Amino acid sequence: MKPVNPTQAAGRRYVVQMGLLIAAYVAVLYGSIATVNALHPVGALRYLLYLAPVVPVALVLPTIVRYFRATDDYERRLITESLAIAAAVTALLAVTYGFLETAGLPRPSAWITWFVLMGSWAVARFVVARHYQQ
Amino acid sequence: MKNRLKVLRAERDWSQAELADQLGVARQTVIALEAGKYAPSLPLAFKIGKLFSRTVEEIFTPD
Repeated sequence: MKPVNPTQAAGRRYVVQMGLLIAAYVAVLYGSIATVNALHPVGALRYLLYLAPVVPVALVLPTIVRYFRATDDYERRLITESLAIAAAVTALLAVTYGFLETAGLPRPSAWITWFVLMGSWAVARFVVARHYQQ
Repeated sequence: MKNRLKVLRAERDWSQAELADQLGVARQTVIALEAGKYAPSLPLAFKIGKLFSRTVEEIFTPD
């Protein structure tokens, strides 16, 4: 019997767990929206319902940590190097826009930080992987 | 860091995927190692040496 490649096994486990968490996120998000629309809650319940989708998102954290520890050292290098670049890009853009905000530009939604970080992480990962494989 | 990984793999007629399985790493890792731009960690370097029955210095040389 062919021995199990631990890196491939970690990758498969990660994909399955992320898939389940994305499904849970969609289910909780729709449940939360439906409940808010039906009950029109106020006060603490309203905040709790709006925060409910954060629970499956928070569970992504241990999933990523488990994958990071189980995968091989090249993948760990790709993750850390691209994440460092993405954090630097996000910080630079935050500082740049912070000054423009002071100059009068509108204050954007906090969501923009998430999109910038994830977007720059994906691009950085592609660039870093190309650097090591060519 | 230069290395003889591609030559040693070819001598055994292994594919990159087969070598990756032997080392317990992803195929992308083997590609990066053979490209010579990625220096492996010490544990992985010793694992490669053991797999090919060579010392680490016989496989990897500094640029």
